[in-house]
Amino acid sequence: MKIYGNLTMEDTSIRENGGQIQMGPQGGSVVNNKPSEQGNSQVQYSIPGILHFIQHEWARFELERSQWEVDRAELQARIAFLQGERKGQENLKNDLVRRIKMLEYALKQERAKYHKLKYGVDLQQGDMKPPVLEDSNNVDSQAETESPVVANHPSWRQGRQLLRQYLQEIGYTDRIIDVRSTRVRALLGLNNNAEQDENVNGAPVNGNESNKRASETQGRRTPAKKTQPSSLAEAMMMETEAAVMVNLDFLTNADVDMEDDDDINEDVELEPGDEMDDDVKAVKRKGKLDDDVDAEAMEVLNELNLLSESVDHQRQDIKEESNEWNKGLSYSSTGKPCRQLRINDEENIDSTLGLGELAQLTVNNDAETTYDISSSKEAFRKTWNAKYTLRSHFDGVRALAFHPTEPVLITASEDHTLKLWNLQKTVPAKKSASLDVEPLYTFRCHTGPVLCLAISGTGEYCYSGGLDRNIHCWHRSHGCSMSNIDPYDLFEPEVLNCTLSGHTDAVWGLSVLHSRQHLVSCAADGTVKLWAPHSEGALLNTFTSEADGVPSSVDFVNDEPNRIVAAFNSSHSIIFDTETGKPVVRLESGQDSVAANKQINRVVCHPTLPLTISAHEDRHIRFWDNNTGKIVHSMVAHLDAVTSLAVDPNGLYLLSGSHDCSIRLWHLDNKTCVQEITAHRKKFDESILDVAFHPSRPYIASAGADGLAKVFV
Amino acid sequence: MKMADGSVILRRNRPGTKAKDFCRWPDEVFEEMDSTLAVQQYIQQLIKRDPANIDLILKMPDAQDEGVWKYEHLRQFCMELNGLAVRLQNECHPETCTQMTATEQWIFLCAAHKTPKECPAIDYTRHTLDGAACLLNSNKYFPSRVSIKESSVAKLGSVCRRVYRIFSHAYYHHRVIFDVFENETHLCRRFTHFVTKYNLMSKDNLIVPILEEDNILDESEA
Repeated sequence: MKIYGNLTMEDTSIRENGGQIQMGPQGGSVVNNKPSEQGNSQVQYSIPGILHFIQHEWARFELERSQWEVDRAELQARIAFLQGERKGQENLKNDLVRRIKMLEYALKQERAKYHKLKYGVDLQQGDMKPPVLEDSNNVDSQAETESPVVANHPSWRQGRQLLRQYLQEIGYTDRIIDVRSTRVRALLGLNNNAEQDENVNGAPVNGNESNKRASETQGRRTPAKKTQPSSLAEAMMMETEAAVMVNLDFLTNADVDMEDDDDINEDVELEPGDEMDDDVKAVKRKGKLDDDVDAEAMEVLNELNLLSESVDHQRQDIKEESNEWNKGLSYSSTGKPCRQLRINDEENIDSTLGLGELAQLTVNNDAETTYDISSSKEAFRKTWNAKYTLRSHFDGVRALAFHPTEPVLITASEDHTLKLWNLQKTVPAKKSASLDVEPLYTFRCHTGPVLCLAISGTGEYCYSGGLDRNIHCWHRSHGCSMSNIDPYDLFEPEVLNCTLSGHTDAVWGLSVLHSRQHLVSCAADGTVKLWAPHSEGALLNTFTSEADGVPSSVDFVNDEPNRIVAAFNSSHSIIFDTETGKPVVRLESGQDSVAANKQINRVVCHPTLPLTISAHEDRHIRFWDNNTGKIVHSMVAHLDAVTSLAVDPNGLYLLSGSHDCSIRLWHLDNKTCVQEITAHRKKFDESILDVAFHPSRPYIASAGADGLAKVFV
Repeated sequence: MKMADGSVILRRNRPGTKAKDFCRWPDEVFEEMDSTLAVQQYIQQLIKRDPANIDLILKMPDAQDEGVWKYEHLRQFCMELNGLAVRLQNECHPETCTQMTATEQWIFLCAAHKTPKECPAIDYTRHTLDGAACLLNSNKYFPSRVSIKESSVAKLGSVCRRVYRIFSHAYYHHRVIFDVFENETHLCRRFTHFVTKYNLMSKDNLIVPILEEDNILDESEA
């Protein structure tokens, strides 16, 4: 049946052939003879003739079949390729979705912050969970997602194998391989040179392929030729494959390369500093040669050195700015892994090392975010200058706090009073650079020095704790009209909203949790107390840790609102869970705590990161990881005891005050000092007692034992 | 505060200091105080040691600028008067003490306003203390705490006169509060001696009978 069908099928074509060939009837080939025979007479079948015919037909069918196989392989390869492409697109999409989510989350947080600042209540918006889960998934699977083609490899390779087989058979090689390699390159977006041209005509080449192949195969009458180019094809194959693999490597290493870029940046940054140092050294050498190096000259040189160092720092700051947000972002979004990396021994941390490790953490190029933030940071980066001097207290100012939105602050002093100041109500300047502000209101109720102060999120309430063991809650019924108080108005007893008594000794620390209107206090009686100041039975809980001594400072843990951190004068801090009342994490350095007085004078929590910062009597500022309780960084920050700390609302800068009369502004990322201001005079051995950032306006303030408070803009 | 090995004494009230230990450190000799606030430190140190020892508290160190001495004492008085004002807040209500009076002889007008007016006693007290705080901290009149212009020293008298009325009101209208406060702080006695010693107020205005008591005591001892 088959043969018969074949025969009949072939009739027409043979005739055609016959028609063509009849012009040369003498043709010596068997094939040519036969149609002529056919043409001459239908009856004259000879066995050899039929055999010839069948053989010929079989050869043709084989040829065609191999062609189809090649086609099939080609199409399979194409399918694999398209699948890879789809996967790539999917990953791209996922990545974009991830970014959108992150941006959404950032926006939500911004909104919540804004809302909180404006109304003092947490904004209830559905899902405030950071998209961390998905992020971490993404991070985990980054290896595969970043190389979509690799994920698809097995099927792709199968297709290739098959294709190679047939290409070896037929010798159909160069063109298609080139096309494919360029296509792979196109997919990877790596066309760098002339290959691109090829890629441009890739599609037409592709479209013409069948025709071309037809012509090629026509020229290649027999599959016998197939063995000839196999070695060449193999070589080509290996080459392209290698190229593709290299490209893939490049893809997976994309972020590694970016890290390299960072490194390069850092190297570049360091160079100028080195040069400066060299210069200084050169000067030094010269000085030595001159042989008349006296103490003065040495001092000058030292100063030069310092100068160059500081210049170096600043330069570094500026250069690293663009990286920093990336780091911050990666730090906050990827959470734990990064945190683990940052933990170090107290000993071997220097800022550069910490930074180096941070630099490794840089993830994607979040170009848009980087842009925005760095520009806003640019605005924030500036030199602070003293603008307002708040003089009205008779004795040292122990604490100060800004109103959440208004340019208003309250100071608490050892003269038993608190005073309210509006920075917009200034006394006309009298040939003085700094403006004098007169207080608008004096809060009197404490019968001893007022030691600590906190303002609620709305600015409506103010809490103060004093040596007289009481915590007073003050309320300005005027609310927003706080700025319109007549300083010599009538006395309103209702200004004193309530008094929280429970502590049996001096109250030294206060902090407010804005979202819940909770207040935490610590006192010299050894207790930390949690209050809900405006409800019945205001005292919610009491926390103690007798082994650690007396608490000196407290703060709420910002990223976990049901936790508080209390610092003790034994140099340890403890994070308590407010629900259970149990200590959760201990922050202790565990080192020679006996030798030096490492008492913690102030403890603050970072507004967004799980980071606690403590100011110590031994001139150090120490940074702690809230989750592990390990010390993350430690630095000698001042020439004398560090007394006070404040973190700016964005969490980028740290302000510290010390008994060395200076306040210092620190970059939180690289822990370098950005600015130092000598602000207050000493009274006995005390100088600066508190520092603060305005939560929403560009003000910082310091309070001193000299009875003054200063505001910088 | 003192470290065992006799290392430097740091006179600090570190956070966590108990109320009874507040400012409890070894006295520092006035000559060794190198701070610009030495006079305030010295005065507070004397008061802390014994608030009843008025003669010692008012004994000016040698070579001390008298203007600064008086100024720093007045600052200290105003500061401690806050304590009396806090106590008065609980009892001296605008409804009961509608005017600032001591004896029936005078009604004091509150000078804190553009046109002096009859503030209730508690407001007079607060306004006077606030006004005194502003004046004594004014950059215009008292830019320095190390040296004070003669013209500014003249202002001290009027501040003394005004804040003294707080004592007299408390003495004549809130005697219990006054006595408790005076027992603790000896503030009115110190103030009376201070203004007498430095002639900041005329004796006629010193209507709280403190000098008389002291004189009687002196005489009986003699």
